[in-house]
Amino acid sequence: MSSTATTAGAWLCLLAPLGGTILITLLGTRIPRVAAAWIATTSVFVAFAGAVWAFFGVHAQSGHFGEITMAWTWLESGSFHVGLQLLVDPLSIVMMLIVSGVGALIVLYSIGYMDGDDEERRYFAYISFFVFSMLLLVEGGNLLLLLVGWGLVGLSSYLLIGFWHERPSAVQAAKKAFVMNAFGDATMALAFFVLIAHTHSLSFAIDFNVHLSSTAQNLVALGLLGGAVAKSAQLPLQTWLPDAMEGPTPVSALIHAATMVTAGVYLIARTHPLFEQARTVELIAAGTGALTLVVAGLIALVQTDIKRVIAYSTMSQIGYMFLGAGVGAYASGMFHLLTHAFFKALLFMTAGLVIHAVANEQDIHKLRGVGKLMPFTKWCFLAGALALVGIPPFSGFFSKDSIVASAAALGTWYGWIFWACGVAGALLTGLYTFRLWFIVFPGEPSAFVREHHHRHHGREGALTMLVPVGVLALLATVGGWLQWAPRWDPFTTWLQPAARTLAVAAPTNTQEYFTSAATVLAGVLGIAIAWAIYSERRLTVPAAPFWRRLLEEKFYFDIAYDLVFYRPAAALAAGLRREVEEPIVLQTGTDLGDTTIATGSLVRKIQTGFLRTYVFFLAAGAAAVVLAFLIAK
Amino acid sequence: MLGPGVAWYVALAAFLFGIGALGVLIRRNTLVVLLSLELMLNSGNLALIALSRHFHNGAGQVFALAVMAVAASEVCVGLGLVVAINRRKLALDVDRLSELRG
Repeated sequence: MSSTATTAGAWLCLLAPLGGTILITLLGTRIPRVAAAWIATTSVFVAFAGAVWAFFGVHAQSGHFGEITMAWTWLESGSFHVGLQLLVDPLSIVMMLIVSGVGALIVLYSIGYMDGDDEERRYFAYISFFVFSMLLLVEGGNLLLLLVGWGLVGLSSYLLIGFWHERPSAVQAAKKAFVMNAFGDATMALAFFVLIAHTHSLSFAIDFNVHLSSTAQNLVALGLLGGAVAKSAQLPLQTWLPDAMEGPTPVSALIHAATMVTAGVYLIARTHPLFEQARTVELIAAGTGALTLVVAGLIALVQTDIKRVIAYSTMSQIGYMFLGAGVGAYASGMFHLLTHAFFKALLFMTAGLVIHAVANEQDIHKLRGVGKLMPFTKWCFLAGALALVGIPPFSGFFSKDSIVASAAALGTWYGWIFWACGVAGALLTGLYTFRLWFIVFPGEPSAFVREHHHRHHGREGALTMLVPVGVLALLATVGGWLQWAPRWDPFTTWLQPAARTLAVAAPTNTQEYFTSAATVLAGVLGIAIAWAIYSERRLTVPAAPFWRRLLEEKFYFDIAYDLVFYRPAAALAAGLRREVEEPIVLQTGTDLGDTTIATGSLVRKIQTGFLRTYVFFLAAGAAAVVLAFLIAK
Repeated sequence: MLGPGVAWYVALAAFLFGIGALGVLIRRNTLVVLLSLELMLNSGNLALIALSRHFHNGAGQVFALAVMAVAASEVCVGLGLVVAINRRKLALDVDRLSELRG
C-alpha cells in the first residue's frame, strides 16, 4: 500500500504540471485566457496533492527510507545505464511539498497579477513547465535526471525573466541569467564526466570512498559546487539574480526566491556523501555562503527598487542555507529553505500587491506611505519581514539560528568566522528589511501614491492574489514551529535517512540558546537602527561617498565581469571579423568568382564562330598528337 | 611484287590529305569544302589499301569499303544541305553560315 502510494504520488506530482503545459499549449487560443490560468493552477494543486500522497506513503514505511521507481532504461551504453527513475525519499518529499505547495499558491496569485496581460496563456504554460522542471530536478533518481531538471529550470527561468520581451532590459537580464547558469551547468557536466570515468555510474548510491581517488573526489565536488553556486546566485556568480527581477513579480517569488535558486542547497544535501569525502570543498561552500550573506546584505542596504532589496535579501538567505549545508547541518539548511520559501514568497507577493496597486512603480521612495491605503498588505509584509529577520515566534527565528549555531558547533577558527558572519548577517537583515518597511509602509502617503493608487473592486487586489498572500502570511508566522532545535526536532528526524547531520555540526543546547540570543539581539539592533534612521530621523546615514558608491555599484562585480570577460570577447570577435572573416572568408568567395570570369573572358577569344578555326585546332591537335608519338618513339 | 614501293603510296596519300585539309581550312565555298573533305577521306582510303597490300592483311580493304560507305552517306547529307541552303537563297559561304555562333 505505502509503496504504491509513494510511487503513484510521485509520478502524479511530476506529470500533472507537464500535462498542464501541454494542454495549454495545444488548446492555444481556443480557450479563454482565464481557462489557461485555471488549468495551470489546477495542475500544480494536483501536483501538491500527489506530493502529499507520496509523503504519507513514505511516512507509512518503516525507516522512512523512501524508494526508487523506474519507468524504463533511458540510456544504455556498454556498462553504463541510466534509467528514467524517480527517487522518493524524505529529502525529495520535502522539496516536492515546497515546490508544489508554494508553487500552487504563487500560480494562483498570478491569476490576479497577470490578469489583462497580452500573453497570459504563454505565461501560464511557462510557469507550469517550470514547476514540472523543478519537480524533475528534485525527484530525479540519478544525477543525470537531476541535471536534466537542472537545465530545464534554467530554461524556464530564462523564458520567464524575458517574458516581457518587448523590454530590452528584460531580454538582457534573461540572457545574463542563462549564461551564468550555463556556466554552472558546464561545471556540473564536467563533474559527471569524471564520475562516469571512474565509476561508470551516475547513481546517487555510489560509494564515493571506494571508487574515487581524493583528487577525483575534490574535482567532482568542485564541479557540483560550481553548479550550485551558479543556480543559487552565490558569490562570484551572483550578478544575474538582481537583474532577474525584470520578470513578473510572481516569477520572482516562485523561481528567484522560493524554489529554483534554492536548488543549490538541495544539490549539496543530495550529494552530501561526496561532499563529506571532499570536506575542504564542502567548507568552501560554507565559506561562500558566509561571504555571500554578508555581501548581499550590505548591497541590499542601498538599493532603491523594492524588488531588488528583496532579491539581495534572497541571496543573503541562500547564503545562510549554503552555510548550513556546507558545515554539515543539512537538515538546518533544508529547514531554512522551507521557512524561507514561505516568508520570501510572501514578501515578493506583498511587494507585488503594492506594485500592482500603484501603477507598476517599484521605487521605494515614491511608494512612501502606501501602507495606510493597503492595511492587509502592510500587516502581511510585516509578518514576512519579522520572519526574515528571525524575531520569535516568526518562522525565520527557528531555522536561521540553528544554522548559525551549527557554525559555532564546529568550534574551529573558521567555524567562529562563519558564526560571526551569521550574526552580522542578522544585523544587516534587520537593517535592510526594516529600512524597506519604514520607508514604504508607515507614515502619510506621498503625493505620488495618492495620485496613482487604485483599488481593485474595493479590495487591495484580486481575491486570487489576497488569498495566497494570507495563507503564506500564516505559514510564515507559524511554519517555523515545526521544529525548535533544542526542544523538539521532527524535521531533522524526518531527514535523518536521507541527509544525516554531521556530528561536528550538531550544536549543544548551550550553543543553540547562546546563538539564538545573539542573532535575535543583532536583528533587533538592526531594526532599531533602521527605526532611528528612517522613521524617527534621529540618526543620519554617515556620508561615506566611497562606501556608498561601492555598495551602489554592487562591489563592482558587473563592471569587473564586463571588463574581464565581455570586453575581451567582444574585442576578439570584432578583431576576427576584421582580420579573418572579411579579408579571408568573404574575400575568398569574391576572388573565386572574379578569377573565373577573367579566365572565361580570356578563353572565349578562341571561340571565333568560324568553322575554319575549329578545323584548324582539330588538325593542329591531331598533328601534335602524331608528333608526340613520333618523338616518344 | 611489281610497281612502286609502299612509301610512295603513303606519301601520295599524305599529300592528297594535306591538299584536302588546306582546302577545308582555306576555301569558303561550302561545295568546295565538301569536295576537299572527300579528298581527305579518299587519301585515307589510298593509304589503307596500300598498307593492306603491303602487310598482306585484308582488313585494310574492308576498312576502305566502310569508309566509302561513310563518305557516300556524308556526301548525301552534305549535298542535300548545300541544295537546301541554295534554295533558301542563302550565301554558300561557310563564314557567313554562322547562325549557331554564341
